[in-house]
Amino acid sequence: MEPDDLLVCERVTKQFGALAAVKELSFAARRGEILGIGGPNGAGKTTLFDVLSGLNEATSGRVLLDGRDITRAAPEAICHAGIARTFQLNACFDSLTVRENVQVGAVFGRAASGLPGLRPSAEAEAATQEALALVGLADKGDVVAGALPVLDRKLLMLAGAMATRPKLLLMDEPVGGLTHAEIDLMMETVRRIKAQGVTIILIEHVMRFLVALSDRVMILHHGERIYEGPAAGLARDRTVVDVYLGEGASARLAALLPEPAP
Amino acid sequence: MEIFIQVIASGLTLGAMYAVSTIGLALVYSALNMLNMSQGALLAFGGYVCFYAMETLGLPAPVAMLAAMVVGGGLGLAIYLLVARPMLGSPMFETQIFIATIGIGSVLQSVVLQLFGPQPKAQPLNVPGGVSLGGVVVPWQSLLILTIALAMLAGVAWLLGRTRAGLAIRATAQNRDAAQLMGIRIGQVYAQVLMLSGALAALSGIMVSSLSGLLPTMGADPMLKAFVICVVAGLGNVPGAAIAALLLGLLEAIIQYLFGVQYAFAILLGLVIGVLIWRPYGLFGKRQVVRL
Repeated sequence: MEPDDLLVCERVTKQFGALAAVKELSFAARRGEILGIGGPNGAGKTTLFDVLSGLNEATSGRVLLDGRDITRAAPEAICHAGIARTFQLNACFDSLTVRENVQVGAVFGRAASGLPGLRPSAEAEAATQEALALVGLADKGDVVAGALPVLDRKLLMLAGAMATRPKLLLMDEPVGGLTHAEIDLMMETVRRIKAQGVTIILIEHVMRFLVALSDRVMILHHGERIYEGPAAGLARDRTVVDVYLGEGASARLAALLPEPAP
Repeated sequence: MEIFIQVIASGLTLGAMYAVSTIGLALVYSALNMLNMSQGALLAFGGYVCFYAMETLGLPAPVAMLAAMVVGGGLGLAIYLLVARPMLGSPMFETQIFIATIGIGSVLQSVVLQLFGPQPKAQPLNVPGGVSLGGVVVPWQSLLILTIALAMLAGVAWLLGRTRAGLAIRATAQNRDAAQLMGIRIGQVYAQVLMLSGALAALSGIMVSSLSGLLPTMGADPMLKAFVICVVAGLGNVPGAAIAALLLGLLEAIIQYLFGVQYAFAILLGLVIGVLIWRPYGLFGKRQVVRL
C-alpha cells in the first residue's frame, strides 16, 4: 500500500449465487483525487459501492480505509470511519425538511462523542449550515425534501453525505437525468468538494462529466477492470471502445479530450 | 346540548386512549416494519403492574404509573434483544416477527394469569366525582385520561420532531439504508422505538383498566382497535394514527349513543372497510408508502 492511498481494495469479490458481480477486483483511490468509474450496465459498479459502503458484504477480499480493514464493518461504522455515499436514485428522507435531511448526516455521521444530547450540537449545526451552503441549498432549509425537483434532490443527497464530514465520497451517477446546464452546476459543486481535500470516487455514464472531473478513470465490465488510467486514453483503448463506448461515442469523446501529450 | 357534550367527552376519552396505544404500534411498524401482536398483552401487563404497585406495595398513583411504564419499556427492550434483533436479517422478517409476537403475547398473558388469577380486578387508580360542564357532569376520570393522553401525545410529537433521537427514528423509518449510511446506529433506534412503544402500551393499559377493570385478556379489544386505526390511517403513519384514533373514538361514542353499544364495533369495521375500498392505503397513506 502506497502512503498516499486512502482506499485500497484487494481482490474484492462479490458473488450472488453463481454470478460474480465483482470479480477479484484490486484498485486504490489516492488521497485527494477523483477516481471515475464507468462501464456498461451490470458491470458491477453499484455493487462495488454497496460493498465499499457496507450495505452488501464482500464475499472475499479486503477493503482498507487509511490502512484500517473495513471489509466486514456495518454501514454506520463505515460512515463513522469516513466514507459517505450518494445514490443513483432518490434516497432523501422525503418527509423530512431539507435542513433535517442534512442534520441526520451532521448529527450521526461522526461516531457519537460523549452523551447523546437532545438537540444537535453546535458543531453539528455548523456542519449542517456548511453542507447546505456548499451545494447551494441554504435558502431552502425549510422545504420538505419530497417537494424538491430532481437537481435539488441530488444536491441534497450530496449535502447530507458531506455533512458527515467524510474523507472519501462515493457518488453513484450524480448527474443521471440532469440537463446540460444542471450537469455543469453539479460539476462545479464536485470541484468545490474536491478543493476541500475530499477524495471522490464517482460512477457516471455521462462521459462529459466523468472525463472533465476524473484524475483517473477505471472501466469495469462483468465485474472486472478493463481499463485504468487517464481519461485521455479511453477513446484510444480498443477494449473500452468495443465493450462500452462504441465507435460513435468514442469519436464524440475524443473531441472532448485535450490532445494527448506526445 | 347536554347529550352532545356527554357524547363528545366520552368519544374524546375513548379516542385519546386509543391514540396512546395506536401510536406505539404505528411507531414500531414504521421504524421496523414490525406488527407487534404482543401489544395487547403489554397493555394488560402495564395495567396489572400499576395495580400491584398501588394495591400491594401501596405506592402513590404517579409512581405506580411510572413503574408500569418502566416495566413496559423494559419488556419492549427485551422483545427487541431476544426476538426482533436475531430475526432482523431474515428476508422473512415481517412474517416471522408477526408470529413470534403472537407467541410473546400469549406468554405474557399467561404470566399475568398466573400471578394475578382470572378474576376481574378494579384498577385502584380512580378519581371519583366529576365536574359540571354546561349542565353535564363529566367524570374527573375522563378528564384525567384525556389530559394524560394529550400530554403523552404532545410528548411523543416533541420527541419525534424536536430531538436527535426523534430525527434518527424518522430517518430510519423513511429509509433504512440511507439512515445507516449516514451513521445512524439503527439497532439503537429499534431498541428505543420498542421501549417507547412498550411504555405507551403500559400507559394505555392503565387508562383502559381504570374505566373497564383489569382482566388478563383486557388488551385484546384495544389492540384490535389500535390495528384498525393504524390501517385506517395508513400503516406506519404516526401523526395520522393519532388523528384517526380521536376520530374513531368520537365515531364510536356517537354510534353507541345512536344505535347502542352492541353495534359500535360492527359499524366501525363496516366504515373501515368502506374507507379501505375508497382509499386502499389508508386515509392519510400515500401509494408509495411514505412513512411518518
